[in-house]
Amino acid sequence: MKKVTCSLLLLLFLYGSSALGQESAETLVTESAAFLKVFFKNRFDVQVAVVRFENDSELNDTAMQKLYQLLISNLENEKNIRISDLLINFANGRGEFNLGRVDDLHYLLDLKLIQNKSKTGLGLTIFSRLQDKIVSVKYFEKALSKGEMDFLNAKNFAFSKLGFSKLLEFESKRNLMDIQSISGSDGREQYFFYYPDEIVIYLASNMRLEKDSQFKLGWTRPVYPALHYEGKLLLLQTNQGLVLTAGNNFSSYAKVLAFRDSLWQEIQKIDFVPFKYLILNQIPYLVGASYEEGRNYFKDKIYFMPFSDPANRSGIYEKKAAPAMALDFSVQDGQLQAVHLIDRNYNYHLFSAEFEEQFPAPEKKGASLAALGGEWLAVSDYSRASDQLFFYNIQNGGQRPTYSEKITGEIQFISAGVWQNIKGFWTGVRQERDGQERFMVQFWGKRDGQK
Amino acid sequence: MDKSKLLFIALALTLIFAIKPYYGGEITIRLNEPTSFTLNTANYSNLIFYSLIYENFFYLKKNGEIFSNVFQEYHYDVSGKTLSLTIKDNLSFSNGKPLTARNIQVSLKIFMNSDLFAASKLSKTVKNIRVNENQVRIELLADNPDILSLLTAPELVVLAENEQSFSGMFFPQVWEKNHQLILNANPFYAGGRTYLDKVKITFNDSTPPDLFLANPNQFKENFQEFDSGIFQNIYLCFLQSDMGQNTKIALFTILKRFNEATGNKYKELRTLTSDEESPVSIKIKTMSPQKTASILKHSETKLYILASLSNLEKDLAAFLKNSNLKIETLFIDDSQLMAFLNSAAIQYLLIDKIFQKKVPAAEKISRILKESSFNQFNARYLRMLSELDEVKFSNSQELLMEQIARISEAIVNDGIIFPLFQKNYSLYISKMWPAMEIDYYGRPLLQKVSKNND
Repeated sequence: MKKVTCSLLLLLFLYGSSALGQESAETLVTESAAFLKVFFKNRFDVQVAVVRFENDSELNDTAMQKLYQLLISNLENEKNIRISDLLINFANGRGEFNLGRVDDLHYLLDLKLIQNKSKTGLGLTIFSRLQDKIVSVKYFEKALSKGEMDFLNAKNFAFSKLGFSKLLEFESKRNLMDIQSISGSDGREQYFFYYPDEIVIYLASNMRLEKDSQFKLGWTRPVYPALHYEGKLLLLQTNQGLVLTAGNNFSSYAKVLAFRDSLWQEIQKIDFVPFKYLILNQIPYLVGASYEEGRNYFKDKIYFMPFSDPANRSGIYEKKAAPAMALDFSVQDGQLQAVHLIDRNYNYHLFSAEFEEQFPAPEKKGASLAALGGEWLAVSDYSRASDQLFFYNIQNGGQRPTYSEKITGEIQFISAGVWQNIKGFWTGVRQERDGQERFMVQFWGKRDGQK
Repeated sequence: MDKSKLLFIALALTLIFAIKPYYGGEITIRLNEPTSFTLNTANYSNLIFYSLIYENFFYLKKNGEIFSNVFQEYHYDVSGKTLSLTIKDNLSFSNGKPLTARNIQVSLKIFMNSDLFAASKLSKTVKNIRVNENQVRIELLADNPDILSLLTAPELVVLAENEQSFSGMFFPQVWEKNHQLILNANPFYAGGRTYLDKVKITFNDSTPPDLFLANPNQFKENFQEFDSGIFQNIYLCFLQSDMGQNTKIALFTILKRFNEATGNKYKELRTLTSDEESPVSIKIKTMSPQKTASILKHSETKLYILASLSNLEKDLAAFLKNSNLKIETLFIDDSQLMAFLNSAAIQYLLIDKIFQKKVPAAEKISRILKESSFNQFNARYLRMLSELDEVKFSNSQELLMEQIARISEAIVNDGIIFPLFQKNYSLYISKMWPAMEIDYYGRPLLQKVSKNND
């Protein structure tokens, strides 16, 4: 009994310390943000960005990213401030920023973190680009305890108000492969759940999903039975109505279906699995790749198919990439920004829109991933021992880890999506408890991340 | 163990448990060379080999769980005494040809017509097999809720009309006789494509194997040892009734001496099943070398040996050559044997049988009597088997043992079969493959085995 009591106390202590741990740091940043809000109060549509951030304290690079992210998050909520997040990486005590867009800004911020005995200070300099001079310098100071320092230095990226959190969770039938949604004519969001043999359509109703309809997919030979079913669904609103593409790792072709006469009708077959619709040189394309039949990875080619007419499949061209466990495209305003890929050795790769490989983080590994527009990238861990979900901010070409969450079970897929007007990610998670397998669907979103 | 090895194992373990498992790689298995791709599960090595290229109707796990990769649904209707098996949609054999309910029906009939104990047990139960689209309906003569367990026999596999297509998780790609056989992953495997791309079956020690069979309690350092639950018995059978007792014992003596001369690779067997479970001990007195030589010197003896024992060929030929005896050894496949049975060509036959240790002794003795008495099976033996069945229902262990003893004595005294040797097997699997499981019949289940991704 003594042991139990001790463990309980220890747990309470740990919880208490970590919960309190970030308070001073949060206050330091909140005060800085409050100062900036007051400073910009009478200005309209002011464009601001941090362009320099240096560290002269005991805090490590991870902690610096957290502080930076917290400041950005605070300022993002101000209607008159348009904060640009230009941080690409924070390494060796300095932030690396994308300075190519400085000309669009009105004010530049310079931050410096300084440690003075037990206190930590944040120096803030505001530079007006239009006046070409420093317009304000401010210094904030707080006592950061050892515990708080440790907490900030630990590799958990979260601050409560920044984080992606699990907004929805429910159990699904096994082998769910993908979820996509589209707004219906009545404004209600329709959710398409893609299983190997059928698609089930749900309608959002308050905080629940109500089953609306379902239809069988009726695959024909050759069918390659798989141990792990994988597939991608894509919904498109075209001139000819709603079109859906469904491809997977057990059929050598993907289906293109159109909703006609109140029925989903197959209008075409495609030799690759489409999973993004984007515009290149003003031409709309379906972009995707082919799975190795029956296996859980894509072959090494990415296909681009002009898609102005859903029934036309001519003019497909391909780009060579690498065989991929996971693949997705970050797209901003319909334009391709980057290609995110996890290779067969579980290493993450980033390619530019021109398919040139970038090297933002050489050690990054993963298993599944999905990009949410050009803003966020979610990557699952690659080891079964402790699955995790990492969220990276990929705006402005950067790629910073901002949040991570332990997951009970194994993530089977991640898809970008929307729930209750909040943009985020759907995850399919396989859980096993007492020999019983369950398939859980989760939605992860930022509470302030409105669609 | 050096550091690099430790690192390698740590990396392997991490990646083996990767959430998206790694597809690719090959495993090397050392087995006896098969004679053909025609199903023949006479010995343990074959049992494993054919399980790689032929898919079983049902699998029986060590914990008693039954599962199938071929059927999406199976249902036993008590009132209609019918088992309905619904085949999965769009299945194909390794060459892409459709695998249909008709193939299931034909495969089941072929099995039921085979000369196997498990097959005759099933045929006694089944009244009719019908096909309706993707469903096979097995009508029974009498209610038998245990029908599914009869369908877990390792010999009951899905056969194609074409000999070059296979239903198993792998299919033969390259066969270098006396050296190795390469099997490729079947892209259409009903259970879902295996993680492994290839299986290399070696017939000698040229490549260090990842999986092999050997005597128990060896290779502790780098291999996991699985008690296969299997033993192999070797018997000398006499197929004609008018053969002299002296010649039989002389041949028996020679074979015993062969085992001694080759380092006692096999354990002496003094019963028809196993020494631990049999109520009787059979003692056949061997002869002196001089007497053996004088009996066998003048006769031209032809000893037929089942092809499943072909691993003895080299050593036995050398031994007989040294003994200056005119004994000719001829290796014969199971399928050929059936054709010879009604002629007088085969007098002496060396056979092997594999048994699951857990199977009751009564079932083993029934199997020996049915499968090894060949054309000498008669009404008396049939009566003895019926009596054995009756005794089984009596729940008297004493009576059961008595009947087993009576059958054993009868077939040995009638000079039909002499027990020779026994071999116990362990299955050794390299520690690099920790996810490997084995089924009730001691066969490794390779479907979910994945290579480390170094």
